[in-house]
Amino acid sequence: MIYTICKYTPTELLASFGQTCTVLDRIPECFDRAEQTAHPNLCGFGKSVLEAVLSGGVRELVLVNCCDTIRRVYDVLQRTGACDFLFLMDLPHEACGCSRALLTGELNRLLNTYATYSGMEFSLPKFQAAFRTNAKNCGPYVGILGVRVGRDLERMMARCFSLPVRNLTCTQGRCLNGDSVRAAGTLESALDAYAAELLHQVPCRRMDDETARQALYRDPDLRGIVYHTIKFCDFYGFEYAEIRRQMDVPILKVETDYTRQSQGQILTRLEAFSETVSGPAPETGGSKLPTEGVFFVAGIDSGSTSTDVVILNQDKKIVGTSIVPTGAGASAGAEKSLEAALRSAGLRQDQLARTVATGYGRANLGGGLEQSVTEITCHARGAFFLNPKIRTIIDIGGQDSKVIRIDGTGHVINFVMNDKCAAGTGRFLEMMARTLGMGLEEMSRTGLTCREDITISSMCTVFAESEVVSLVAQNKDVSDIVHGLNKSVAAKTAALAARLGMEGDYCMTGGVAKNAGVVKALEEKLGVSLFISDEAQLCGALGAALLAFDL
Amino acid sequence: MSHLIDTFGAFVDRQAPAHPVRARRLLIAAYEAKKWQMRLAPDRGLPPSKRELCLIMMQSILDCLRRPEHSAMVSLFVPCEPLTALGVHPYSVEGLSCYLTGAGAYRAFLDHTVEDGVPETLCSYHRVFLGAAGMHVMPAPRFVLHTNLACDANQLTFRNLAGRFHIPDFAVDVPFAHSEEAVRYVAEQLRKMVRFIEDCSGQKLPEEALRAAVGRSARTAKNYRRYLSLQNDHWLSGDVTSELYAAFMNHVLLGTPQVERFSQMCLEDVQNAPPRSGLNLLWLHTIPFWQQPVRQRLNFSDRVRIAACDMSYEGLVHMDASKPYESMAARMVYSGFNGSAEYRVKAALQAARTVGADGVVYFCHWGCKATLGAAQMVKQSLEAAGFPTLILDGDGCDPGNSSDGQVSTRLDAFLELLEARNS
Repeated sequence: MIYTICKYTPTELLASFGQTCTVLDRIPECFDRAEQTAHPNLCGFGKSVLEAVLSGGVRELVLVNCCDTIRRVYDVLQRTGACDFLFLMDLPHEACGCSRALLTGELNRLLNTYATYSGMEFSLPKFQAAFRTNAKNCGPYVGILGVRVGRDLERMMARCFSLPVRNLTCTQGRCLNGDSVRAAGTLESALDAYAAELLHQVPCRRMDDETARQALYRDPDLRGIVYHTIKFCDFYGFEYAEIRRQMDVPILKVETDYTRQSQGQILTRLEAFSETVSGPAPETGGSKLPTEGVFFVAGIDSGSTSTDVVILNQDKKIVGTSIVPTGAGASAGAEKSLEAALRSAGLRQDQLARTVATGYGRANLGGGLEQSVTEITCHARGAFFLNPKIRTIIDIGGQDSKVIRIDGTGHVINFVMNDKCAAGTGRFLEMMARTLGMGLEEMSRTGLTCREDITISSMCTVFAESEVVSLVAQNKDVSDIVHGLNKSVAAKTAALAARLGMEGDYCMTGGVAKNAGVVKALEEKLGVSLFISDEAQLCGALGAALLAFDL
Repeated sequence: MSHLIDTFGAFVDRQAPAHPVRARRLLIAAYEAKKWQMRLAPDRGLPPSKRELCLIMMQSILDCLRRPEHSAMVSLFVPCEPLTALGVHPYSVEGLSCYLTGAGAYRAFLDHTVEDGVPETLCSYHRVFLGAAGMHVMPAPRFVLHTNLACDANQLTFRNLAGRFHIPDFAVDVPFAHSEEAVRYVAEQLRKMVRFIEDCSGQKLPEEALRAAVGRSARTAKNYRRYLSLQNDHWLSGDVTSELYAAFMNHVLLGTPQVERFSQMCLEDVQNAPPRSGLNLLWLHTIPFWQQPVRQRLNFSDRVRIAACDMSYEGLVHMDASKPYESMAARMVYSGFNGSAEYRVKAALQAARTVGADGVVYFCHWGCKATLGAAQMVKQSLEAAGFPTLILDGDGCDPGNSSDGQVSTRLDAFLELLEARNS
């Protein structure tokens, strides 16, 4: 078994030795070996290759000179001698005649090196017979573009959409017809033809001329794009920005580090995006709402910090609310919060005609729930209900921040979320408040005034904390430091908002909406006034309750 | 950074969104003022060669900003002899980013790149410039020349800038292998590059002018190599900023009479310098010239100095002026920054021996995967050869990606280790 990583790998050539090639796709539990032998700040995929080889089980590996990370992965593996057969094929950046000759030389080098290593003989007929034609797909679909996705993530994506999902990332879409290779009479001419076919595939982003990549996102059957990037792989972020600027097709950026971490957050984004592409999932056969008379519905927003509940009556009037800390378990937090809301409304649970859950914990709240909907759709619905003029919602919660654009009917047009880094979230403020030895309420007031305009330049939470400690040591005024922190959160959020484009009236929801200093800094940064409802923290739960009428 | 620079930078940052041309004029005025200060009241701690170096670099930056229509945007490793021989000014993206950070004007540009969707893990030299170009503070040059050497960021940034400015772009593809076949492949592309330059500039490049420029490069390389070998037993004080300037001089301005003169002055200065009295550091990769803990410890110190930086000396190979294309190609192909990291290790070992390094600092510039990935390999090899090596994480251009506290602790501990070893 020969492992490969790239669609430019000459797998047909290796097949001529009777070998099977498979794309290396091992998601490790940790990157200990990779970080010991290389560095933490490499792309997760490169580190996963190091982990896979250094932990054993990958004896033969053919790499392509794809990027800086893979070059260094090759260097490290070459030194360790962990593979029986390790080969790095150089790939030119263009497809002109000279490049073709260079690649032909590389193919020859691989052929000879593998023949020497394996003791097997190359067979031209087997090589010419190794080409396979892929079946052509047609009809509407959702495309995964960008950099490679692991099989787990691809399966998760496929489950989230009602439309077929096609993987068009950098490892996929390999379609060599092999005609020119089959027509060649000699090894030399066959390799030359093969080099040309390899170079004329739909290019990946490392190639100089990438015009042909437009076919990937200008397909009329494409209904939505999930654009995958890996942290520390910079090739694809630029293309995502270009597609977003040029195309109307809905697009969601998902950035991972090629681990299984953050799957909950990714699932939320995918489900919300699926709701954007094809509307909320159909009713699951739960209880029917009465058509007349008095009845109640509830929305539960199970967040990382608090669990919020809103109970509405048949006229969509709020009759009960509660906000309780989520605590150790999402399910227990939801029960507690629902009990408190029922008490405030003077109701019993059996009087609720329907309950809809949202938030991170929505999938873990146990029975009794008719439906779960992502907090993105719920925040949109809740905010629009509170103020129908709103077109952009900024939600900063405990562990994530989002910006959601909605249309004139309250439906989500697009959204962006922070990555898993805590910068710009409520958690960032909590950590900084702890460093400064103050509570969040005090911090909210303290940041409203400042004498010196301090800028916290570090976006990383850990570095920012160190910067705050250093400012404290310099006897800087605490209010100036807090003001600097508020500006930092505002800058991060404004950058998210700018990715969606500035439009319409703005509102802010989530727990951080209660922080007057952040709100002021954000208004200054965006140059707009933010609508903040008294129910700002309950917006997600309110949206969930409103959706209970529709599902 | 000083309060004055911070205040100036913040003012430029505020001007940039609504008044980009005004922001550019402010920068030009500040650089012009600095140039006059360097001319009339130069830093007395700097030897004459380094004073000259500061002036040449400042003039080069001013030329890019004032006369962009006579400039070609280049990535650091593109041979620029064909440009300078034609009187086209090389417009260095990385150089301009350093000057923007040096002027304290970078925050608004970095923020703009985040809004623009540029990955935050891209090299900050490129992000600062992309932000400044995106906000129209940086002017459009006439055309772009770039190469995949020494990192992937070049492919992304220069392609993006050519599209953004609507100007033609030429890419030089450098193969992974260090071989004569690769030299021929690159030389052929450099011939095409010259035709591209001629088309874009409307001027014909006389072969003789190119040979003369490569001849100057060859003499510069020879002088600079000799200068480095004399660093072993002479103590020439200096600062980290001018060490970084030398990296630009020996790349984008290589082949000019000014740089040849600079190399002669370096040689004279080191020959006249007193005997070596402190620790010699070999610095690998870029230098965070803006960072106080680095400046405080390494600028004009009797205790320790950077004796050589691989960004400055790499590529100074033997060149034959009668074969200008092959000479320029060989510089790229046989660079320690090209191909396997083992070549970089080999070059570092050779340099450490040449300058008699007491220790080596391997600077892991945020986002530079080519450097980061080789960190442990380089450390193992250098330490096995008896050169203590510090892997120092930081950022050469974006203060937001680095912590002063961490850098000062690591540098201090390393210097203590080296001193204890020598005592």
